[in-house]
Amino acid sequence: MSETAATAGSVPASTAVPAEQYNYDIVRKFSIAAVIWGVLGMAAGVWIASQLAWPFLNFDIAQITFGRFRPVHTTLVIFGFGGNALFATSYYIVQRTCQARLYGDRLALFTFYGWNLALVLGVISYTSGITQGREYAEFAWPLDILIAVTWVVYFWVFLMTLMRRSQPHIYVANWFFMAFILATALLHIFNNLQVPVSLTSASSYSLFSGVQDAMTQWWYGHNAVGFFLTAAFLGMMYYFVPKQAGRPIYSYKLSIIHFWALVFLYMWVGAHHLHWTALPDWVSTLAATFSILLLLPSWGGMINGIMTLSGAWHKLRTDPIMLFLITALSFYGMSTFEGPMMSLKSVNALSHYTDWTVGHVHSGALGWVAMITFGSLYHLIPRLWNTKIFSLRLIYIHFFLATIGIVLYIVSMWVAGIGQGLMLRAFDQYGNLAYTFTESVVFLHKPYVVRAIGGGFFLLGMLLMAFNIAMTILTARRAAPVADESRATAASAS
Amino acid sequence: MAEFWSWITDLGNSKIVALLLFMGTFIAIVIYLFSSSRRSTRFESYRYIPLDDEDSPMDPNAASGDRNKGEKQS
Amino acid sequence: MKHESVETNAGLLVILTLAVISIGGLVEIVPLFYIDDTIEEVEGVRPYTPLEQRGRDIYLREGCYTCHSQMVRPFRDEMLRYGHYSLAAESQFDHPFQWGSKRTGPDLARVGGKYSNEWQVQHLIKPTSLVPESIMPGYPWLASTPLDFSDVEDRMIALKRVGVPYSINQQELEANVERFGEETAAMLDINQAEDNLIAQAQQENFDGDPSFISEMDAIVAYLQVLGTMVDFNEYSEGEFADFR
Repeated sequence: MSETAATAGSVPASTAVPAEQYNYDIVRKFSIAAVIWGVLGMAAGVWIASQLAWPFLNFDIAQITFGRFRPVHTTLVIFGFGGNALFATSYYIVQRTCQARLYGDRLALFTFYGWNLALVLGVISYTSGITQGREYAEFAWPLDILIAVTWVVYFWVFLMTLMRRSQPHIYVANWFFMAFILATALLHIFNNLQVPVSLTSASSYSLFSGVQDAMTQWWYGHNAVGFFLTAAFLGMMYYFVPKQAGRPIYSYKLSIIHFWALVFLYMWVGAHHLHWTALPDWVSTLAATFSILLLLPSWGGMINGIMTLSGAWHKLRTDPIMLFLITALSFYGMSTFEGPMMSLKSVNALSHYTDWTVGHVHSGALGWVAMITFGSLYHLIPRLWNTKIFSLRLIYIHFFLATIGIVLYIVSMWVAGIGQGLMLRAFDQYGNLAYTFTESVVFLHKPYVVRAIGGGFFLLGMLLMAFNIAMTILTARRAAPVADESRATAASAS
Repeated sequence: MAEFWSWITDLGNSKIVALLLFMGTFIAIVIYLFSSSRRSTRFESYRYIPLDDEDSPMDPNAASGDRNKGEKQS
Repeated sequence: MKHESVETNAGLLVILTLAVISIGGLVEIVPLFYIDDTIEEVEGVRPYTPLEQRGRDIYLREGCYTCHSQMVRPFRDEMLRYGHYSLAAESQFDHPFQWGSKRTGPDLARVGGKYSNEWQVQHLIKPTSLVPESIMPGYPWLASTPLDFSDVEDRMIALKRVGVPYSINQQELEANVERFGEETAAMLDINQAEDNLIAQAQQENFDGDPSFISEMDAIVAYLQVLGTMVDFNEYSEGEFADFR
């Protein structure tokens, strides 16, 4: 449509819009926060991966043992890196596609501080042993309330911005963001129903117990993946892929079908995390069936994104940002194929409780979520600061580091998971168990080392990105020393 | 007819009822989207929304124009 | 209705999306609370004693669930390795459930009674001293930290609010005597929580150090009760098949 997309780093001069037209300040804040949390969260991930390979790294220090640090890693990458990136991109996209300024500057600012305060307090509380003991929902009850309030404000800001749009249509990216906001609110509230021990105690007990609690938790857990890490990032995809490619999305009709199918189907599949458990069979069968069906809308989204580039494949040779976006979609396609396969009860019998699951999560989290975020941020940052990216070459290097890291990670976890699964179910000729559990742990050492190295590659790429972005911002500020008020505040936030 | 209602309200048949319902809705959506070429063209015109905003600085009266075009008043 | 009506009306988009995302959860979760087949009726499952419950709190605090599951699946290898497959009834008083999702270490659903108290204490302090290949971190501070049980009554009251049958008055105590027997019912009485906790810790001396009640006492008490409440010898082979 314009020369914007022609080269990755170039930005038309006309981006120099007056600060009043769009609220870019809040987008800048969230973008920087996403990068910082990304570095910290991935570093925490490499740390706990190393602890599994070399357990002496636990050092007998309570605060940094694997059990307390694993929630730090998951929370920081999902809610810190992913969450801040989603706030940033959703606030950017809703303004750009509605051609209206974000509603409520102060409310938006509140979402920034509320969200990031919850993260900081979350990390402190986990390391000091305050947790709900629910995966991906470890926040103690006061933080749950803070998050809920922040989230309602977020919903309100987003909705009111949609209401004041000057474009009659709500673009498809915003549907995905809206579904993500609504579903996350629903999931967060129902999964965190709990009774505090007292008003002065951070401890609480969940309202449900046993089988009902398990179902609620995995209804939440899988939809944290489905809506937080998928639907919302599809929203990101629906804006940044067309923008970066300079071509409209492949098919609008396909986006309508796959949106409704995706938001409908995802909510059914959580119970596939509970195959063969004490959960009644009818629920897990239902979940497995819907998991298979989910392949269709997932691939609908992938095809829609990748085909956007049809006829312009040469861009992949010249544009590393495009490379990030398209690779992300490929990993999305791969992990949404692997997922339904693992939800088959026979496959799940082997894969569940092993590192195969961990590998699957990371092919989605690193391959899809992180890659699409990297691409989007590289597109976004120069536009927010009205400048060029500091180094295109570093983006290339980042891309290759990230890809090598993911491949090492996924392959080692396949070996670890399938290997351990087979060992644990092996029998000798007399019908006794062929291996002890400990023998399978010994087997895992090498894959764990490779995984830690893969994670290290990925982290290195992330550090390069942080450097590249920091230099981009610094250069922009040096070029325009007479920065306006909002720029100055953005800088102080960094 | 009474027979039909007793069959459809029997919870034992809920699987088939749900399947028909969801499948029907899905097929209806697909038919709706792809049946008319005029509708098709109309839908595909919305693809250009993200590319339309190409950084054209809004006219000075944008703020007020904004509100006029907003949803509530339209 | 045109799809454009949704695309041009934010309110409609919100309402429709909410409706569509609610169906799945409603259909799968709500029946679990009403269908009788969900949870088996078995003898022996009781709420945790105050000491065991405090041990469970520590189990959560240290994030044991990030590496250990508490859910034996009905497979031959798992039943040989861990014991009878887990029943829904066995976690009916678990707020929150701790079935876990990853076995970096073995399943713990039936670890109770498998090892001696001394083994558990030694293993928690320095796992590699007993299992040289182990990659489990050591938890030496559990043995040296005195157990905080000042709020144990508040905790039991909170658990009672979410449905655990701890008793606070005579009537509830009698109901518990009826349901769990006299000895157990006394342990579940909130008014005697602190005394019960101290008595159990001193009597069984889980950590081998009688001088004070440590966090180790509590967590070993919890580990030793895991999976031991139901006596599976009393039930025939296919007894629980209907609930699967």
